Amino acid sequence: MSPLKIGAFYNPHLGRELAEARGIDHLAMADPPRADDPWWPKIKERYTLLLHDYLGQLSEPLDERSIQRARSLAELYHTPWVAEHFQCLHTEDGTYNLNYVFPPLYTEEFLTRFVTNANALKARLDQPLVMENIPGFFDVRHSQMSEPVWLRRFFAATEVGFLLDLPHVWLEAHYHGARPTDWLAEFPLEHVVELHVAGVVDDADLQGPWIAPAEPSEEMLAFAAQAVTRCPGAKAVTFDAFSPSLTAEALLRSVERIRAALA
Amino acid sequence: MTDRALQDLVIRALADAPFRRSPEWRQRALADPERVERFARFLARHFYFERIVHFFKYSTVLARLTGRRPEAILGQPAFAALLPSLVLGSRDSARAVAGLVVAHVKNGASAQIPYHDDLLRYEEAMMVVEAGPRVWREPTVSATKGVGSGEWVTPEKVAGTALLDLTYDLPAVLPKLLRPWTAVPEAPARPVRLIVARSRHGRVAVAKATDAIVSIMDLADGSKTLDDLAREAGLRPAELQATLQGLTELGAVRFSTGS
Repeated sequence: MSPLKIGAFYNPHLGRELAEARGIDHLAMADPPRADDPWWPKIKERYTLLLHDYLGQLSEPLDERSIQRARSLAELYHTPWVAEHFQCLHTEDGTYNLNYVFPPLYTEEFLTRFVTNANALKARLDQPLVMENIPGFFDVRHSQMSEPVWLRRFFAATEVGFLLDLPHVWLEAHYHGARPTDWLAEFPLEHVVELHVAGVVDDADLQGPWIAPAEPSEEMLAFAAQAVTRCPGAKAVTFDAFSPSLTAEALLRSVERIRAALA
Repeated sequence: MTDRALQDLVIRALADAPFRRSPEWRQRALADPERVERFARFLARHFYFERIVHFFKYSTVLARLTGRRPEAILGQPAFAALLPSLVLGSRDSARAVAGLVVAHVKNGASAQIPYHDDLLRYEEAMMVVEAGPRVWREPTVSATKGVGSGEWVTPEKVAGTALLDLTYDLPAVLPKLLRPWTAVPEAPARPVRLIVARSRHGRVAVAKATDAIVSIMDLADGSKTLDDLAREAGLRPAELQATLQGLTELGAVRFSTGS
Protein backbone atom coordinates (compact mmCIF):
# COMPACT_ATOMS: atom_id res chain seq x y z
CA MET A 1 0.00 0.00 0.00
CA SER A 2 1.39 3.42 -0.95
CA PRO A 3 1.65 5.97 1.87
CA LEU A 4 -1.55 7.79 2.73
CA LYS A 5 -1.73 11.37 1.52
CA ILE A 6 -2.73 13.81 4.27
CA GLY A 7 -4.51 17.00 3.31
CA ALA A 8 -7.14 19.59 4.15
CA PHE A 9 -9.85 21.72 2.55
CA TYR A 10 -8.99 24.85 0.63
CA ASN A 11 -10.23 27.75 2.73
CA PRO A 12 -9.86 30.87 0.56
CA HIS A 13 -9.40 33.19 3.57
CA LEU A 14 -6.28 31.13 4.37
CA GLY A 15 -4.97 31.29 0.79
CA ARG A 16 -1.69 32.94 1.73
CA GLU A 17 -0.88 30.41 4.45
CA LEU A 18 -1.90 27.43 2.33
CA ALA A 19 0.10 28.67 -0.64
CA GLU A 20 3.20 28.62 1.55
CA ALA A 21 2.42 25.68 3.84
CA ARG A 22 4.52 22.55 4.20
CA GLY A 23 3.25 19.10 5.09
CA ILE A 24 -0.05 19.22 3.19
CA ASP A 25 -0.34 16.75 0.32
CA HIS A 26 -3.68 17.76 -1.16
CA LEU A 27 -6.56 20.22 -0.85
CA ALA A 28 -10.24 19.42 -1.26
CA MET A 29 -12.28 22.08 -3.06
CA ALA A 30 -15.74 22.74 -1.57
CA ASP A 31 -16.38 25.78 -3.79
CA PRO A 32 -14.99 26.89 -7.14
CA PRO A 33 -12.19 29.45 -6.80
CA ARG A 34 -13.28 33.07 -6.81
CA ALA A 35 -12.15 35.06 -9.83
CA ASP A 36 -10.45 37.59 -7.55
CA ASP A 37 -8.62 35.03 -5.36
CA PRO A 38 -4.96 36.09 -5.62
CA TRP A 39 -3.71 32.75 -4.21
CA TRP A 40 -5.60 30.44 -6.52
CA PRO A 41 -2.93 30.20 -9.28
CA LYS A 42 -0.29 29.15 -6.76
CA ILE A 43 -2.64 26.74 -4.99
CA LYS A 44 -3.54 25.12 -8.31
CA GLU A 45 0.09 24.81 -9.28
CA ARG A 46 1.23 23.37 -5.93
CA TYR A 47 -1.44 20.93 -4.85
CA THR A 48 -3.34 17.85 -5.88
CA LEU A 49 -6.92 19.13 -5.76
CA LEU A 50 -9.96 17.00 -4.91
CA LEU A 51 -13.37 17.98 -6.27
CA HIS A 52 -15.72 18.09 -3.28
CA ASP A 53 -18.35 20.59 -4.40
CA TYR A 54 -22.14 20.25 -4.28
CA LEU A 55 -22.96 18.59 -7.59
CA GLY A 56 -26.52 17.55 -6.85
CA GLN A 57 -28.54 15.04 -4.87
CA LEU A 58 -28.55 11.57 -6.38
CA SER A 59 -32.09 10.81 -5.27
CA GLU A 60 -32.81 12.30 -8.69
CA PRO A 61 -30.73 12.08 -11.87
CA LEU A 62 -28.36 15.00 -12.30
CA ASP A 63 -29.43 17.20 -15.19
CA GLU A 64 -27.12 18.00 -18.08
CA ARG A 65 -26.24 21.41 -16.64
CA SER A 66 -25.05 19.84 -13.36
CA ILE A 67 -23.11 17.12 -15.16
CA GLN A 68 -21.33 19.65 -17.34
CA ARG A 69 -20.51 21.72 -14.24
CA ALA A 70 -19.05 18.64 -12.53
CA ARG A 71 -17.01 17.77 -15.61
CA SER A 72 -15.70 21.26 -15.96
CA LEU A 73 -14.66 21.50 -12.28
CA ALA A 74 -13.00 18.06 -12.48
CA GLU A 75 -11.01 19.24 -15.48
CA LEU A 76 -10.06 22.52 -13.79
CA TYR A 77 -8.74 20.71 -10.70
CA HIS A 78 -7.29 17.62 -12.44
CA THR A 79 -8.95 15.79 -9.58
CA PRO A 80 -8.12 12.11 -9.08
CA TRP A 81 -11.74 11.42 -8.05
CA VAL A 82 -15.05 13.25 -7.78
CA ALA A 83 -16.91 13.29 -4.46
CA GLU A 84 -20.60 13.59 -3.71
CA HIS A 85 -22.73 12.88 -0.62
CA PHE A 86 -25.49 10.47 0.31
CA GLN A 87 -27.93 13.30 0.74
CA CYS A 88 -31.46 14.36 -0.06
CA LEU A 89 -31.85 17.87 1.25
CA HIS A 90 -34.43 19.56 -0.97
CA THR A 91 -37.91 18.54 -1.98
CA GLU A 92 -38.51 17.36 -5.52
CA ASP A 93 -40.49 20.49 -6.40
CA GLY A 94 -37.77 22.80 -5.02
CA THR A 95 -40.08 24.46 -2.47
CA TYR A 96 -38.16 23.37 0.64
CA ASN A 97 -34.40 23.29 0.95
CA LEU A 98 -32.43 22.58 4.13
CA ASN A 99 -29.18 24.03 2.77
CA TYR A 100 -27.34 21.39 4.80
CA VAL A 101 -26.39 17.77 4.27
CA PHE A 102 -29.25 15.45 5.18
CA PRO A 103 -29.44 11.70 4.56
CA PRO A 104 -32.11 9.89 2.54
CA LEU A 105 -34.47 7.29 4.00
CA TYR A 106 -32.65 3.97 4.08
CA THR A 107 -35.21 2.09 1.98
CA GLU A 108 -35.25 -0.10 -1.12
CA GLU A 109 -36.74 2.72 -3.19
CA PHE A 110 -33.98 5.16 -2.28
CA LEU A 111 -31.35 2.49 -2.79
CA THR A 112 -32.61 1.94 -6.33
CA ARG A 113 -32.68 5.68 -6.95
CA PHE A 114 -29.13 6.26 -5.70
CA VAL A 115 -27.71 3.22 -7.48
CA THR A 116 -29.32 4.21 -10.79
CA ASN A 117 -28.34 7.85 -10.59
CA ALA A 118 -24.80 7.21 -9.31
CA ASN A 119 -24.21 4.75 -12.14
CA ALA A 120 -25.49 7.32 -14.62
CA LEU A 121 -23.22 10.02 -13.19
CA LYS A 122 -20.24 7.66 -13.05
CA ALA A 123 -20.66 6.96 -16.75
CA ARG A 124 -20.45 10.67 -17.54
CA LEU A 125 -17.31 11.38 -15.52
CA ASP A 126 -13.72 10.84 -16.62
CA GLN A 127 -12.66 10.25 -13.00
CA PRO A 128 -13.90 7.71 -10.42
CA LEU A 129 -16.88 8.77 -8.30
CA VAL A 130 -16.68 8.50 -4.50
CA MET A 131 -19.64 8.92 -2.13
CA GLU A 132 -19.58 10.26 1.44
CA ASN A 133 -21.71 9.02 4.34
CA ILE A 134 -23.95 11.59 6.06
CA PRO A 135 -25.10 11.36 9.69
CA GLY A 136 -28.68 11.59 10.88
CA PHE A 137 -29.57 13.31 14.15
CA PHE A 138 -32.75 11.26 14.41
CA ASP A 139 -34.08 8.03 12.90
CA VAL A 140 -37.06 8.04 10.58
CA ARG A 141 -39.30 5.11 11.40
CA HIS A 142 -40.04 4.38 7.76
CA SER A 143 -36.43 3.34 7.05
CA GLN A 144 -36.14 -0.34 6.20
CA MET A 145 -32.48 -1.03 7.00
CA SER A 146 -29.54 0.44 8.86
CA GLU A 147 -27.23 2.95 7.20
CA PRO A 148 -24.26 0.51 6.99
CA VAL A 149 -26.38 -2.18 5.33
CA TRP A 150 -27.81 0.34 2.86
CA LEU A 151 -24.31 1.61 2.04
CA ARG A 152 -22.94 -1.91 1.66
CA ARG A 153 -25.62 -2.72 -0.91
CA PHE A 154 -25.07 0.60 -2.69
CA PHE A 155 -21.33 0.05 -3.12
CA ALA A 156 -21.82 -3.55 -4.19
CA ALA A 157 -24.23 -2.41 -6.90
CA THR A 158 -22.23 0.54 -8.21
CA GLU A 159 -18.58 -0.19 -7.49
CA VAL A 160 -18.02 3.53 -6.81
CA GLY A 161 -15.55 4.50 -4.08
CA PHE A 162 -16.40 5.23 -0.44
CA LEU A 163 -15.43 8.53 1.16
CA LEU A 164 -15.61 7.53 4.81
CA ASP A 165 -16.31 10.51 7.05
CA LEU A 166 -15.21 9.37 10.50
CA PRO A 167 -16.80 12.17 12.57
CA HIS A 168 -20.08 11.28 10.85
CA VAL A 169 -19.67 7.65 11.92
CA TRP A 170 -18.69 8.81 15.42
CA LEU A 171 -21.84 10.97 15.66
CA GLU A 172 -24.12 8.18 14.40
CA ALA A 173 -22.61 5.88 17.00
CA HIS A 174 -23.00 8.52 19.73
CA TYR A 175 -26.67 9.13 18.99
CA HIS A 176 -27.37 5.39 18.76
CA GLY A 177 -25.60 4.67 22.03
CA ALA A 178 -23.00 2.48 20.28
CA ARG A 179 -19.22 2.37 20.47
CA PRO A 180 -17.75 4.11 17.38
CA THR A 181 -15.44 1.17 16.59
CA ASP A 182 -18.33 -1.30 16.76
CA TRP A 183 -20.48 0.92 14.53
CA LEU A 184 -17.60 1.39 12.08
CA ALA A 185 -17.15 -2.37 11.73
CA GLU A 186 -20.57 -2.58 10.07
CA PHE A 187 -19.51 -0.33 7.15
CA PRO A 188 -18.15 -1.65 3.82
CA LEU A 189 -14.62 -0.46 4.48
CA GLU A 190 -13.12 -2.39 1.57
CA HIS A 191 -14.51 0.33 -0.72
CA VAL A 192 -12.89 3.26 1.11
CA VAL A 193 -10.74 5.56 -1.06
CA GLU A 194 -10.58 8.64 1.18
CA LEU A 195 -11.28 9.37 4.85
CA HIS A 196 -12.37 12.60 6.51
CA VAL A 197 -11.20 13.48 10.01
CA ALA A 198 -12.32 16.52 12.03
CA GLY A 199 -13.51 17.64 15.42
CA VAL A 200 -16.98 17.68 16.91
CA VAL A 201 -18.26 20.25 19.40
CA ASP A 202 -21.37 20.61 21.53
CA ASP A 203 -24.14 22.56 19.84
CA ALA A 204 -26.65 24.49 21.94
CA ASP A 205 -29.61 23.75 19.65
CA LEU A 206 -28.83 20.05 19.41
CA GLN A 207 -27.85 19.78 23.08
CA GLY A 208 -25.11 17.42 22.03
CA PRO A 209 -22.06 17.08 19.79
CA TRP A 210 -22.12 17.81 16.07
CA ILE A 211 -19.83 18.46 13.12
CA ALA A 212 -17.76 21.64 13.49
CA PRO A 213 -14.70 23.25 11.93
CA ALA A 214 -12.67 22.22 14.96
CA GLU A 215 -9.47 20.31 15.61
CA PRO A 216 -9.91 16.55 16.10
CA SER A 217 -9.77 15.31 19.68
CA GLU A 218 -7.28 12.66 20.75
CA GLU A 219 -10.18 10.20 20.78
CA MET A 220 -11.03 11.06 17.16
CA LEU A 221 -7.39 10.68 16.12
CA ALA A 222 -7.18 7.27 17.78
CA PHE A 223 -10.41 6.32 16.02
CA ALA A 224 -8.87 7.44 12.70
CA ALA A 225 -5.68 5.48 13.34
CA GLN A 226 -7.73 2.35 13.96
CA ALA A 227 -10.02 2.98 10.98
CA VAL A 228 -7.26 3.31 8.38
CA THR A 229 -5.92 -0.13 9.29
CA ARG A 230 -9.29 -1.52 8.19
CA CYS A 231 -9.39 0.37 4.88
CA PRO A 232 -6.92 -1.43 2.58
CA GLY A 233 -7.71 0.74 -0.45
CA ALA A 234 -7.51 4.12 1.28
CA LYS A 235 -5.35 6.67 -0.52
CA ALA A 236 -5.96 9.92 1.33
CA VAL A 237 -7.04 11.38 4.66
CA THR A 238 -8.45 14.91 4.69
CA PHE A 239 -8.96 17.28 7.61
CA ASP A 240 -12.59 18.17 6.98
CA ALA A 241 -12.97 21.80 8.00
CA PHE A 242 -14.24 24.55 5.72
CA SER A 243 -15.33 27.75 7.41
CA PRO A 244 -14.41 31.45 7.55
CA SER A 245 -13.93 30.97 11.29
CA LEU A 246 -11.15 28.41 10.82
CA THR A 247 -7.67 29.72 11.65
CA ALA A 248 -4.47 28.81 9.82
CA GLU A 249 -2.99 27.55 13.08
CA ALA A 250 -5.88 25.16 13.68
CA LEU A 251 -5.74 23.85 10.12
CA LEU A 252 -1.99 23.33 10.03
CA ARG A 253 -1.87 21.82 13.52
CA SER A 254 -4.73 19.44 12.70
CA VAL A 255 -3.02 18.16 9.56
CA GLU A 256 0.19 17.70 11.49
CA ARG A 257 -1.58 15.82 14.30
CA ILE A 258 -3.44 13.59 11.83
CA ARG A 259 -0.16 12.76 10.12
CA ALA A 260 1.47 11.92 13.45
CA ALA A 261 -1.50 9.79 14.56
CA LEU A 262 -1.42 7.74 11.36
CA ALA A 263 2.36 7.34 11.20
CA MET B 1 -47.18 7.47 -0.68
CA THR B 2 -43.73 6.83 -2.18
CA ASP B 3 -40.59 6.93 -0.06
CA ARG B 4 -39.54 10.01 -2.02
CA ALA B 5 -42.75 11.77 -1.06
CA LEU B 6 -42.21 10.74 2.55
CA GLN B 7 -38.69 12.17 2.45
CA ASP B 8 -40.21 15.43 1.17
CA LEU B 9 -42.48 15.46 4.21
CA VAL B 10 -39.49 15.06 6.53
CA ILE B 11 -37.63 17.85 4.70
CA ARG B 12 -40.69 20.08 4.93
CA ALA B 13 -41.05 19.36 8.64
CA LEU B 14 -37.46 20.43 9.21
CA ALA B 15 -37.84 23.57 7.11
CA ASP B 16 -41.34 24.67 8.08
CA ALA B 17 -41.96 25.34 11.78
CA PRO B 18 -45.76 25.76 11.55
CA PHE B 19 -45.97 22.47 9.62
CA ARG B 20 -44.11 20.73 12.45
CA ARG B 21 -46.97 21.64 14.76
CA SER B 22 -49.69 20.49 12.33
CA PRO B 23 -51.73 17.30 12.84
CA GLU B 24 -50.71 16.28 9.30
CA TRP B 25 -47.12 15.92 10.48
CA ARG B 26 -47.56 14.96 14.11
CA GLN B 27 -50.04 12.15 13.46
CA ARG B 28 -47.53 10.39 11.22
CA ALA B 29 -45.18 9.97 14.19
CA LEU B 30 -42.27 9.41 11.82
CA ALA B 31 -39.55 10.55 14.23
CA ASP B 32 -38.92 11.66 17.78
CA PRO B 33 -40.55 15.13 17.81
CA GLU B 34 -38.06 16.58 20.27
CA ARG B 35 -35.09 15.47 18.18
CA VAL B 36 -36.75 16.84 15.03
CA GLU B 37 -37.38 20.19 16.74
CA ARG B 38 -33.80 20.46 17.95
CA PHE B 39 -32.39 19.63 14.53
CA ALA B 40 -34.80 22.04 12.84
CA ARG B 41 -33.63 24.88 15.07
CA PHE B 42 -30.02 23.99 14.36
CA LEU B 43 -30.79 24.06 10.62
CA ALA B 44 -32.59 27.41 10.86
CA ARG B 45 -29.65 29.05 12.56
CA HIS B 46 -27.29 27.59 9.97
CA PHE B 47 -29.56 28.56 7.07
CA TYR B 48 -29.79 32.22 8.09
CA PHE B 49 -26.17 32.43 9.20
CA GLU B 50 -25.08 31.61 5.65
CA ARG B 51 -27.47 34.14 4.15
CA ILE B 52 -26.64 36.94 6.57
CA VAL B 53 -22.90 36.46 6.07
CA HIS B 54 -23.37 36.51 2.31
CA PHE B 55 -25.91 39.28 1.81
CA PHE B 56 -24.74 41.57 4.64
CA LYS B 57 -21.06 41.26 3.82
CA TYR B 58 -20.64 45.03 3.44
CA SER B 59 -22.12 45.61 6.89
CA THR B 60 -19.73 42.98 8.22
CA VAL B 61 -16.80 44.96 6.82
CA LEU B 62 -18.21 48.14 8.35
CA ALA B 63 -18.69 46.48 11.75
CA ARG B 64 -15.31 47.89 12.81
CA LEU B 65 -17.03 51.31 12.70
CA THR B 66 -20.57 50.41 13.69
CA GLY B 67 -19.61 47.86 16.32
CA ARG B 68 -22.47 45.69 15.05
CA ARG B 69 -21.83 42.37 13.36
CA PRO B 70 -24.92 41.36 11.37
CA GLU B 71 -24.89 37.67 12.33
CA ALA B 72 -24.99 38.57 16.04
CA ILE B 73 -28.79 38.58 15.84
CA LEU B 74 -28.76 34.78 15.60
CA GLY B 75 -27.83 34.63 19.27
CA GLN B 76 -30.40 37.19 20.39
CA PRO B 77 -33.86 36.57 21.92
CA ALA B 78 -35.56 38.27 18.96
CA PHE B 79 -34.32 35.55 16.63
CA ALA B 80 -35.28 32.82 19.08
CA ALA B 81 -38.76 34.34 19.16
CA LEU B 82 -39.00 34.00 15.38
CA LEU B 83 -38.07 30.30 15.32
CA PRO B 84 -41.63 28.96 15.84
CA SER B 85 -42.80 30.83 12.72
CA LEU B 86 -39.84 30.40 10.36
CA VAL B 87 -40.16 28.62 7.03
CA LEU B 88 -36.68 28.25 5.54
CA GLY B 89 -36.58 29.77 2.09
CA SER B 90 -39.85 31.68 2.37
CA ARG B 91 -39.89 35.36 1.52
CA ASP B 92 -41.79 36.30 4.68
CA SER B 93 -39.19 34.57 6.86
CA ALA B 94 -36.33 36.15 4.94
CA ARG B 95 -37.99 39.55 5.43
CA ALA B 96 -38.41 38.95 9.16
CA VAL B 97 -34.81 37.83 9.70
CA ALA B 98 -33.35 40.55 7.47
CA GLY B 99 -35.45 43.07 9.41
CA LEU B 100 -33.82 41.96 12.65
CA VAL B 101 -30.38 42.40 11.10
CA VAL B 102 -31.21 45.89 9.81
CA ALA B 103 -32.58 47.01 13.19
CA HIS B 104 -29.53 45.63 14.98
CA VAL B 105 -26.92 47.16 12.65
CA LYS B 106 -28.77 50.48 12.33
CA ASN B 107 -28.45 51.02 16.06
CA GLY B 108 -24.69 50.99 15.79
CA ALA B 109 -22.42 53.99 15.28
CA SER B 110 -22.83 55.06 11.67
CA ALA B 111 -22.07 58.80 11.64
CA GLN B 112 -19.06 58.23 9.38
CA ILE B 113 -21.16 56.33 6.82
CA PRO B 114 -23.61 58.76 5.17
CA TYR B 115 -24.99 56.03 2.91
CA HIS B 116 -25.56 53.56 5.74
CA ASP B 117 -29.37 53.53 5.45
CA ASP B 118 -29.14 52.96 1.69
CA LEU B 119 -26.66 50.14 2.23
CA LEU B 120 -28.91 48.36 4.71
CA ARG B 121 -31.91 48.66 2.38
CA TYR B 122 -29.78 47.22 -0.44
CA GLU B 123 -28.55 44.27 1.64
CA GLU B 124 -32.03 43.60 2.99
CA ALA B 125 -33.47 43.62 -0.55
CA MET B 126 -30.82 41.14 -1.75
CA MET B 127 -31.65 38.70 1.05
CA VAL B 128 -35.41 38.97 0.55
CA VAL B 129 -35.23 38.61 -3.25
CA GLU B 130 -33.12 35.46 -2.90
CA ALA B 131 -35.91 33.69 -1.01
CA GLY B 132 -38.42 31.45 -2.75
CA PRO B 133 -38.63 28.09 -4.50
CA ARG B 134 -35.89 27.40 -6.99
CA VAL B 135 -35.25 25.08 -9.88
CA TRP B 136 -32.67 22.46 -8.90
CA ARG B 137 -32.88 20.42 -12.06
CA GLU B 138 -33.77 21.41 -15.57
CA PRO B 139 -36.86 19.52 -16.69
CA THR B 140 -36.40 16.60 -19.06
CA VAL B 141 -37.20 17.13 -22.75
CA SER B 142 -40.58 15.43 -22.45
CA ALA B 143 -41.50 17.62 -19.49
CA THR B 144 -40.74 20.77 -21.45
CA LYS B 145 -42.83 19.85 -24.45
CA GLY B 146 -44.41 23.00 -25.81
CA VAL B 147 -42.66 25.34 -23.40
CA GLY B 148 -40.22 27.62 -25.11
CA SER B 149 -41.29 26.44 -28.52
CA GLY B 150 -43.81 29.21 -29.10
CA GLU B 151 -43.36 32.89 -29.70
CA TRP B 152 -42.87 35.19 -26.75
CA VAL B 153 -46.39 36.30 -26.06
CA THR B 154 -47.08 37.86 -22.68
CA PRO B 155 -44.20 38.92 -20.45
CA GLU B 156 -44.76 38.87 -16.72
CA LYS B 157 -42.77 40.39 -13.88
CA VAL B 158 -41.35 37.60 -11.70
CA ALA B 159 -42.73 37.75 -8.16
CA GLY B 160 -40.23 39.06 -5.66
CA THR B 161 -38.30 41.25 -8.10
CA ALA B 162 -37.58 44.56 -6.41
CA LEU B 163 -36.91 48.12 -7.55
CA LEU B 164 -34.79 50.09 -5.15
CA ASP B 165 -34.52 53.91 -5.11
CA LEU B 166 -31.34 55.03 -3.38
CA THR B 167 -29.99 58.46 -2.47
CA TYR B 168 -26.37 57.41 -2.99
CA ASP B 169 -24.72 55.64 -5.91
CA LEU B 170 -23.98 52.44 -3.99
CA PRO B 171 -22.65 50.39 -6.94
CA ALA B 172 -19.77 52.86 -7.10
CA VAL B 173 -18.67 52.18 -3.53
CA LEU B 174 -19.46 48.51 -2.89
CA PRO B 175 -16.29 47.02 -4.45
CA LYS B 176 -14.17 49.54 -2.52
CA LEU B 177 -15.66 48.40 0.78
CA LEU B 178 -14.34 44.89 0.21
CA ARG B 179 -10.80 46.08 -0.45
CA PRO B 180 -8.45 47.25 2.33
CA TRP B 181 -9.23 50.80 3.51
CA THR B 182 -8.39 53.12 6.37
CA ALA B 183 -10.89 55.94 5.79
CA VAL B 184 -14.35 54.65 4.96
CA PRO B 185 -14.86 54.83 1.15
CA GLU B 186 -17.27 57.52 -0.01
CA ALA B 187 -20.31 57.03 -2.22
CA PRO B 188 -21.33 59.75 -4.69
CA ALA B 189 -24.46 61.52 -3.48
CA ARG B 190 -26.58 61.00 -6.60
CA PRO B 191 -29.85 59.11 -6.84
CA VAL B 192 -29.84 55.69 -8.47
CA ARG B 193 -32.58 53.19 -9.09
CA LEU B 194 -31.62 49.51 -9.00
CA ILE B 195 -33.46 46.38 -9.99
CA VAL B 196 -32.80 43.26 -7.89
CA ALA B 197 -33.91 39.92 -9.32
CA ARG B 198 -33.32 36.22 -8.93
CA SER B 199 -32.78 33.58 -11.57
CA ARG B 200 -34.77 30.33 -11.56
CA HIS B 201 -31.68 28.67 -10.07
CA GLY B 202 -31.49 31.10 -7.16
CA ARG B 203 -28.75 33.48 -8.34
CA VAL B 204 -29.43 37.08 -7.25
CA ALA B 205 -28.38 39.83 -9.64
CA VAL B 206 -28.52 43.63 -9.54
CA ALA B 207 -28.59 46.15 -12.38
CA LYS B 208 -29.23 49.85 -12.74
CA ALA B 209 -32.83 50.37 -13.75
CA THR B 210 -33.45 52.55 -16.80
CA ASP B 211 -36.77 54.30 -17.46
CA ALA B 212 -37.58 51.55 -19.96
CA ILE B 213 -37.02 48.89 -17.30
CA VAL B 214 -39.18 50.73 -14.79
CA SER B 215 -42.01 51.02 -17.34
CA ILE B 216 -41.86 47.37 -18.25
CA MET B 217 -41.76 46.25 -14.63
CA ASP B 218 -44.84 48.37 -14.02
CA LEU B 219 -46.75 47.08 -17.03
CA ALA B 220 -45.69 43.42 -17.44
CA ASP B 221 -48.53 41.67 -15.65
CA GLY B 222 -48.76 38.56 -17.85
CA SER B 223 -51.77 39.81 -19.79
CA LYS B 224 -50.23 42.36 -22.16
CA THR B 225 -48.71 41.41 -25.50
CA LEU B 226 -45.45 42.84 -26.77
CA ASP B 227 -47.41 45.27 -28.92
CA ASP B 228 -49.42 46.41 -25.89
CA LEU B 229 -46.24 46.89 -23.89
CA ALA B 230 -44.46 48.82 -26.64
CA ARG B 231 -47.42 51.13 -27.08
CA GLU B 232 -48.10 51.75 -23.38
CA ALA B 233 -44.44 52.16 -22.46
CA GLY B 234 -43.69 54.31 -25.52
CA LEU B 235 -40.81 52.06 -26.60
CA ARG B 236 -39.61 51.16 -30.09
CA PRO B 237 -39.78 47.39 -30.86
CA ALA B 238 -35.97 47.03 -30.87
CA GLU B 239 -35.68 48.85 -27.54
CA LEU B 240 -38.44 46.73 -26.02
CA GLN B 241 -36.86 43.52 -27.29
CA ALA B 242 -33.42 44.42 -25.92
CA THR B 243 -34.82 45.46 -22.54
CA LEU B 244 -36.91 42.31 -22.23
CA GLN B 245 -33.90 40.20 -23.15
CA GLY B 246 -31.88 41.80 -20.36
CA LEU B 247 -34.70 41.45 -17.84
CA THR B 248 -35.20 37.79 -18.74
CA GLU B 249 -31.51 37.05 -18.25
CA LEU B 250 -31.62 38.89 -14.93
CA GLY B 251 -34.61 36.77 -13.86
CA ALA B 252 -36.95 39.74 -13.53
CA VAL B 253 -39.33 38.77 -16.33
CA ARG B 254 -40.66 35.48 -17.63
CA PHE B 255 -42.82 34.66 -20.60
CA SER B 256 -45.97 32.73 -21.11
CA THR B 257 -45.82 31.17 -24.57
CA GLY B 258 -49.54 30.71 -24.88
CA SER B 259 -48.97 27.14 -26.08
